[in-house]
Amino acid sequence: MSQALPLLPAAQLAPLLAAYARSRRAVFWRGLLVAACLVAGSLASGWMAEVDLGKFGKHIGGFFSYFDRLTRLEGGGGRVWTDPGEWFWGLRPWLVQLGDTVLMAYAGTLFGALGGFCLAVLGAANLVQNQPLRWGAKRLAEFCRTVPDLVFALLFVIAFGLGPLPGVMALAIHSLGALGKQNSELVENIDMKPVEGAIAAGASWVAMVRFAVLPQILPGFLSYSLLRFEINVRGAAVLGFVGAGGIGQDLIEAVRKFYYNDVAALLVLIILTVVVIDTLTGLLRRRLLEAR
Amino acid sequence: MLVIQGLTRRFGAATAVDNLSLEIPRGAFVGVIGRSGAGKSTLLRMINRLQDPSEGQILWQGQDITTLRGAELLAWRARCAMVFQQFNLSPRLDVLTNVLVGRLHHVPTWRALLRMWPQADRAIALSALEQFGMGTLAAQAAGQLSGGQQQRVALARALVQEPEIILADEPVASLDPRNAEMVMQALADINQRYGITVLCNLHSLDLARRYCTRLVGLAHGRLVFDDVPAALTDAVAQSLYGIEARDVMDSPPPALPDGFAAAVA
Amino acid sequence: MRTEALANLPQLRQQHPAVFRRLTWGGVLAMLVVLAGIGLLALAVWRLELVPLRFIAGLGQLAHFITLMFPPDPGPHLHLILRGIGETLAIAFLGTLGAAIIALPVALMAARNTTIHWLMRFASRRVLDGIRGIDALIWALIWVSVVGLGPFAGVLAILVSDIGTFGKVFSEALEAADRKPQEGILSAGGNGLARIRLGVLPQVLPVIAGQVLYFFESNVRSSAIIGIVGAGGIGLHLTEMIRTLEWQAVSFIILLILVLVAVIDVISGRLRAAMAG
Repeated sequence: MSQALPLLPAAQLAPLLAAYARSRRAVFWRGLLVAACLVAGSLASGWMAEVDLGKFGKHIGGFFSYFDRLTRLEGGGGRVWTDPGEWFWGLRPWLVQLGDTVLMAYAGTLFGALGGFCLAVLGAANLVQNQPLRWGAKRLAEFCRTVPDLVFALLFVIAFGLGPLPGVMALAIHSLGALGKQNSELVENIDMKPVEGAIAAGASWVAMVRFAVLPQILPGFLSYSLLRFEINVRGAAVLGFVGAGGIGQDLIEAVRKFYYNDVAALLVLIILTVVVIDTLTGLLRRRLLEAR
Repeated sequence: MLVIQGLTRRFGAATAVDNLSLEIPRGAFVGVIGRSGAGKSTLLRMINRLQDPSEGQILWQGQDITTLRGAELLAWRARCAMVFQQFNLSPRLDVLTNVLVGRLHHVPTWRALLRMWPQADRAIALSALEQFGMGTLAAQAAGQLSGGQQQRVALARALVQEPEIILADEPVASLDPRNAEMVMQALADINQRYGITVLCNLHSLDLARRYCTRLVGLAHGRLVFDDVPAALTDAVAQSLYGIEARDVMDSPPPALPDGFAAAVA
Repeated sequence: MRTEALANLPQLRQQHPAVFRRLTWGGVLAMLVVLAGIGLLALAVWRLELVPLRFIAGLGQLAHFITLMFPPDPGPHLHLILRGIGETLAIAFLGTLGAAIIALPVALMAARNTTIHWLMRFASRRVLDGIRGIDALIWALIWVSVVGLGPFAGVLAILVSDIGTFGKVFSEALEAADRKPQEGILSAGGNGLARIRLGVLPQVLPVIAGQVLYFFESNVRSSAIIGIVGAGGIGLHLTEMIRTLEWQAVSFIILLILVLVAVIDVISGRLRAAMAG
């Protein structure tokens, strides 16, 4: 700089700096309060959840040796990828199981999406006059959304017996709740002018939904449903843990019986499936967003 | 004949339409005038039953339509078409489907829901569109059209209902002068050609004078004027509109340059 | 009007053939999509043995269980259940917080506008994808084998699986940051670090904090079930009660979960509104 910037005289400068510092201090104290809350919460939670960093330190080696064991062939000392044929010895039945898992997610999403659409429309204050009906639809969606799908699966396995049927139902019911909530936000934000136009032309309630509501929310509805499908594929992969069908059955057995190679192979297959499905639905959703 | 007897509608403490009685013979082209908030919209919406009256009766051909419910109400709405200020089309649906919504009452529900419209109904819808010079735009999404075009689609929808009466709620308030003339002319044509009764809310006195055969003036929900347009003197207009009077009586602004009008359209 | 239109039908048909085509391309495509959907569903019904008979029989059973659930009553397990709920909350809290702290630097590497090298971005994205491909429950299974049964494994499971989610969500938020403040800092002679610290983070941190609060609720639901594989929390007791058919306790636990999630939803909604305001 060729020339020094003129400084304010200290008498003027000091109050300005002080005022600035005062307002900053309020922000600082607020930040400190939040930090204190977080630390207190962490300490309480740590005590509650029996967090033991010493134990963690001792076992973190175990974590890496676990992955070491996962990737070492059981027969000989080599790494699994040196002998893919040996590693993926059960590829055919696993692929069938994976296919079933994806089908479970598909069926669950389909039923959930249809039900969720109905719940969203029935619960919308701008379309339905009947208040008890609306209240019922909203509460039902909330209940189905809040209870995790695995809890439903546990109950259904007892009622319907082991197998994919309770799994599909659990996914469908949880999706119904989640999609019901997301779609009701879409429905409640629609433009009401077409609705009025259709009603004034003598459209019945169903025809009004078909011609004035559905065209407005269809892209959003499909996009949310595809997203739910991605989530349900992950969910379907673990339903087998409670006996509700899919690849999870094989996985938990392999873990319980310490078949490390199988665990690794199944994890790789699950991750690959999820990544492929995410990519495909991602493409579709981008197309939908463009259409919007 | 449309007979309105002691019609009243209250919203909380406010009274939008106040003890209104009126008789309109079939085939009339009636303009409803009055300043904004005078109850014009509420009146039309009650006739179509988008809103229910608090008191009073509306009779069409001797039938009380204020008590209709369910299927009978839908049938009445099909006979009583409505055109809105904001067109009220489904912007994502194509033009033809928007018009075919007006045929819902004449088509089996399952066919309509699957959009498998009978050929005859497509022909009717297309003829209506052609009548307003819109036949070539049948496959466009309604939302992509200009305001004037959308209002003509809405008119076609009203027409294919084969209604006995058309209610037009400020049909030209969102349009530029050229399109406003076109839409008013179309309403007048419909009225003359098919003998459909038209009840049209208008803000502009100029348009009301030129197109309507009878004018009905509302103020604070009450009937304050009911006569032929020629009887609407400036003094009466002054009492109807108060300080708004200058706005609505001024002759229409000079024609806009072409480029600007196209931009507006 | 109708007769007129019908009389003109042949002429109209000639002028606007597209309108009268029964099968349009869009219609055929829509039909194909629907047929494919139904075909897949049929495949699912066949493969997964979704038999209506079994479904109806099960519904009867289910209705019976539901009648047994009322009124909800913890029975002799109240202390156990409350402790389980506490554990669940603790697992969700620590897991969410830890994941957020670890995910922030990873997200910085994974976002196009803050990464140090495209290779770094590619690598961190693939790692995040891999982590996200595995459900929290599978992570719980793995951590139980490493640190043993108990809520600590649950904390680690939620933490690791959330790193994947947060990494993706945060990096998307970072990439959506407005460029104008960043250009202002660069034009004043700031370096890359100054751009990120002063140009990107002030915009993005509130968004990120909101997302963390949002995911806390979903993590409470996740941590309520990881007990199924022995990773602590209420899930363990819930599984036990279902297996031993203590339906009143089951409905009590479900009710508690509902209340807990609703309370957290309200609190986090308030906090998010306060941050936005």
